Amino acid sequence: MTTTLETEVLIIGGGVTGAGVMRDLALRGIHCVLIDKVDLCAGASGGNHGLLHSGARYVSTDVDAAIECRQENERLKRLAPQCIEATGGLFVGVEGDDVGFAENFPGLCRRAAISCDELTVAEARRLEPQLSDRLVKAYRVPDATVDPFHLALANVDHARLTNGSIYRSHTELLRFDIADSEVRAAVCRDSRTHAPLVIRARQFVNAGGAWAMNIARLAGCRDVDLLYAKGTLLVNHDRMTRHVVNRLRPPGDGDILVPGGTVSLLGTTSTRVENLDQIAPTIEEVDRIVREGAAMIPALAGARYTRAFSRVRPLLQGAGNTSDRAASRGFALMDHASQGLANFCTVTGGKLTTFRLMAEKAADLVAARLGKQQPGTTATVPLPIGDAGRWTEPGAAPRHWYKLNNPADMILCECEMVPQSAVNQIVATAPGEAAPAMSPPGRPKGEFRSAQHAGCLMSLEAISLRSRIGKGPCQGSFCGIRVASYLYDTGYYSDAAGLAYMRDFFDERFKGQRGVIWGAQAAQMELAEALHCGLLGLDALEAD
Amino acid sequence: MAQTAIPTLNFKQAALTLLPPGANFDACLTCGLCSSGCPASGLENMDPRKFIRMAMLGMDEELSTTPWIWCCTLCKRCEYVCPMKIDVSKLVFLARGNWPNDRKPAGIARSCHLTQLGASTSAMGMPPGDFVMIVDDVLEEVRATQPGFAHLQAPMDKHGAHFFVNQNSREPMSEPDEMVPLWKILDLVGADWTYSSKGWAAENFCMFTGDESAWRNVIQQRVDAVNDLGCQVWLNTECGHSYYSMWEGVTRFGLDAHFRMDSLITYYAQWIREGKLPINARWNTQGIKFTVQDPCMIVRKSYGDSIAEDMRFVVRTLVGEDNFVDMQPNRSANYCCGGGGGFLQAGMTDQRRAYGKRKFDQIAATGAAYVLTPCHNCHSQIDDIGHHYGGHYGVVHFWTLMCLSLGILGENERHYLGPDLRALIE
Repeated sequence: MTTTLETEVLIIGGGVTGAGVMRDLALRGIHCVLIDKVDLCAGASGGNHGLLHSGARYVSTDVDAAIECRQENERLKRLAPQCIEATGGLFVGVEGDDVGFAENFPGLCRRAAISCDELTVAEARRLEPQLSDRLVKAYRVPDATVDPFHLALANVDHARLTNGSIYRSHTELLRFDIADSEVRAAVCRDSRTHAPLVIRARQFVNAGGAWAMNIARLAGCRDVDLLYAKGTLLVNHDRMTRHVVNRLRPPGDGDILVPGGTVSLLGTTSTRVENLDQIAPTIEEVDRIVREGAAMIPALAGARYTRAFSRVRPLLQGAGNTSDRAASRGFALMDHASQGLANFCTVTGGKLTTFRLMAEKAADLVAARLGKQQPGTTATVPLPIGDAGRWTEPGAAPRHWYKLNNPADMILCECEMVPQSAVNQIVATAPGEAAPAMSPPGRPKGEFRSAQHAGCLMSLEAISLRSRIGKGPCQGSFCGIRVASYLYDTGYYSDAAGLAYMRDFFDERFKGQRGVIWGAQAAQMELAEALHCGLLGLDALEAD
Repeated sequence: MAQTAIPTLNFKQAALTLLPPGANFDACLTCGLCSSGCPASGLENMDPRKFIRMAMLGMDEELSTTPWIWCCTLCKRCEYVCPMKIDVSKLVFLARGNWPNDRKPAGIARSCHLTQLGASTSAMGMPPGDFVMIVDDVLEEVRATQPGFAHLQAPMDKHGAHFFVNQNSREPMSEPDEMVPLWKILDLVGADWTYSSKGWAAENFCMFTGDESAWRNVIQQRVDAVNDLGCQVWLNTECGHSYYSMWEGVTRFGLDAHFRMDSLITYYAQWIREGKLPINARWNTQGIKFTVQDPCMIVRKSYGDSIAEDMRFVVRTLVGEDNFVDMQPNRSANYCCGGGGGFLQAGMTDQRRAYGKRKFDQIAATGAAYVLTPCHNCHSQIDDIGHHYGGHYGVVHFWTLMCLSLGILGENERHYLGPDLRALIE
C-alpha cells in the first residue's frame, strides 16, 4: 500500500541548504517535508572542512562571494554560536610563495571589508607553535569553524518545533507527477525497504546540491548546468592548531588546515569528474595534500591520519571561466519558469558559509509563489540551543558524562567518550529517523519499546551522524560493536538487523580509511579486521 | 581554611615531551588492553584509556583534579600490555606532582616530609642514633639467647664492606625481631656487609608525591652514604619501591653512584646455586601450598622477568616443586596488589580494597595457604585484603621461610607463621 503525505512544500535534499530552507519556511508558517535519499549532510555539506569563511579566501578570485561570506560569517556567529568555534584564521606564506600576492592581500581584504591584521612571523609562531620556521608572512582574519551536522540537525529540529514540519531520511525520489505546468507530487520510495511513498505539495524545492541537475531533469528542466569538482580531505588524528590556517596564495591544493574538536581537517584537491558515483580519494591526492600541508605545518608530514574522504562540489557553469577554482562559488536560484513549470525551483552551488542566505532567497521565491507576504526571519532569529545536535560537538558527551559521575552510565564509544545516556537520547529524540517506535521523552532512559519495522530503527550510521560515535581513531571498530550490543541489550535491536547495521557501518568507516593505511592507523586497521572478520565473522554475514 | 586550588595542566602538551614518538597518545588504538588489565579501572569512574582520551579531548581540568591519580599505583601494567607501549603512568606522576602539598593525601605527604628531615632518610622519622641503638639491642639479645648465634654480626658503618644493606624502617620501628632472619642468612653465606647510620632507610614516599626534587634529594643522600662507605653493591631488602626509586632515580637524575644496585632476591638465588645457602623443602612434610607475589616495582618496572625467574627458583627450592602454585597472570604481567604507589598511605581505604579484590581473587584461585611477598607494601596490602575479603591465607617474607627451612628461625621471628607452619617446628 502506498503511503501519501500532504504538505505545502517538499524540499528535496537534506544538506544544510535544504535544512535551511525548511527552517526558513517553517518560520514563515509554511509547512514542509524535507527528504533525503540517505540522511542529513550526506553530500558536500558533510564532506567539507567545516570552515566558516571570513571571506578572505575569495578576495582574489570572487569579491562578491567574499562579501557574502563576511556577512554570513558575522550573522552565524551571532545566531548559531552553538555550532561555531570562533577560532580565528591565519593566512601564512612560506619561502617561495608569491610575494606579490602576499603584498596585495590586505588591500583585497579591505575592498571586501574583511578585517585583516598583519602579524610578525614571531607573533604568528607564538600563536601557533606548529607553523613552519620557513614562514615569511602572516595575516589574521576572522575565519571560524562550523559543525555542519549540528547546523543541519538544529535547523530541522527548529522547523519541527515551529510548525510540525517533517524530515524523512532514506527517502529516494523516483519521479515527479506533472500536470498543467505544475508538479503535483513526488513519487518516492524508502531507500532501504523500497516501500513506496507519494508526497503531494504545492511547491517543490530542489536542494540536491551536486545531484540538483539530475533532480531537475526528473522534472524535465534542462537549465541546471553543473560542473562536478571532486575534492579530497584528510582527517588528522590530532588537533594541530587553534586557528584555521590558510596558505597565503591563490586557492590551490592542500592549503587549508581546519581544527575541529580534537582533530584537524586538511585539504582539499579539485579534480573534474563526470559522474557522482564511486567517488574515492586516490593515493596521489593524499600524498599531495600531506606534502602541501607540511609546507605550512611540518608536523603534518609525520602525523597520524584516520580518514580520507572525497565529495563532489557542484560548480555553476559560468561563461568564460577557465578553471574550476575560479568557477563561481556563488549560488544559483532558478525558478524554472522558462522550463514551463510554475511551482518548482532549484537552489544549488554556494558554500556552507552562505547556506542561510541561499535558503532565504529560495524561501522568498517559494513564499511569493504561495502568496505569503511575510518576510523571512532567519537573519535575526537565533537558532535555538536544544538537544537535537548537541552530541555532534566533540567533548560534549564526555563533559556530560563526567559531570553526571554515574558509574552505571557506561561509555560505549571510548574514543570520543559517548556514554549510554547520550545514545539513549539520540535514539529517542534526535531528528530524522522515524521516531514513533521510541520511548517518548520522560520515560526512563534505556527503556525502548521494541520497534515494529526494521525500517524504523535508527541504524549505527544514523546514530554516528548524530553524535561523535565512530569519529575517533578507532573509526568505529569498537564502538560499532558496543553500541549495537547495547541496543540489543535494551531490546531496541532484536533480529539480524543490528548485525547488518554493524556491517554497513564498518564498511562505510572502512572506505574512509583506505587512503590512509600506514603507521599507527595500519595497526588500528589490523585490529579492526581481527574484530570484525575474525571475531564477529561479519564478512560472512548473508547479504540481505 | 580554604584549600589551595589545583592548577590545570595541559596533558596533551605534556605528553609530547614526556612520551616518545610512536608511543605517544596519538598512537593509541583505544583497544582497552590497558583498562581491562588495570585493577584501578572503574575507581573514581576512571581508567587508563579514559585518561588518554580525556587528554586528547582537552579535559585538562577534570584530569588535573581527579582523585583517581592516587588510586593508580603507577604499576605500569598498562604500558606493559599496550601494543603501542604508551606509558600513562608518566602523566599520572605529573598530575600527582601538580597537586599542591596541602591537597595531596596526607599520609603520603607526611611520609615524604619525614623522609627529608633526618640523615636516616626514614619515612617513619627514625633518627640515626635510634637505628644504631635498636640494631645493637636486638643483636645483643640474639647473641645472648639463641644458641649458635653468639658470634652473629650486624656491622654498622663498616668502610669497604662489599654490600651496603638497606633496611625498611618498619622493622626497626615496629617489629625489630624481623631483622634477625636476614642477619642470619647473611652470616651463613659469609657476606661482607654493613648497615649505615646514614641513608639506611629503604622507603621513599617522595616518589609517590610526584615531587621530583624531593625524590632526588632522598636518593642523593642515599647515594652519598653508599659512596662514603665505599661499598660495591647497594643491596635492597625485601622491599619493592625502594629498589625502583633508587635504580630509576640514579638514572633519572644523573647521580654519580660508585656502586651497583641489586635486589636481595637475585642474591638468594645465586647463593642457593653456589651451595652457600643450603635450603630445601624437606621441612614441608604436610605439602603446604605457597604462591608468590611478583612486586611490580622489581619485576615489571625494573628487572623484568629475569628476577621473577630467580624468585620462582628460590620458592620452588624452598617449598617444593609440587607445593608452588603460580598466580595467573604472573611475572611481568602480574597485577599490582594495590599496596603500591602510596595507596596504603593515601587514606582511601575503600578504593584500595576495591582495587585489591582482583589480587584477592587471584590468590584465592591458587588455593595457596601462604603468599610469599618480597615487598613490604605488597605484604601489608595482601594481608589486609585477605582479612577484608575473608581469605584464609598467610603472608610471609622469604627470610622467614628460609630460616625455617634451615632450622634457625628464632622464637621471636615467627610472627607471620600460621599454626600449620608453627606445628612443623614447635
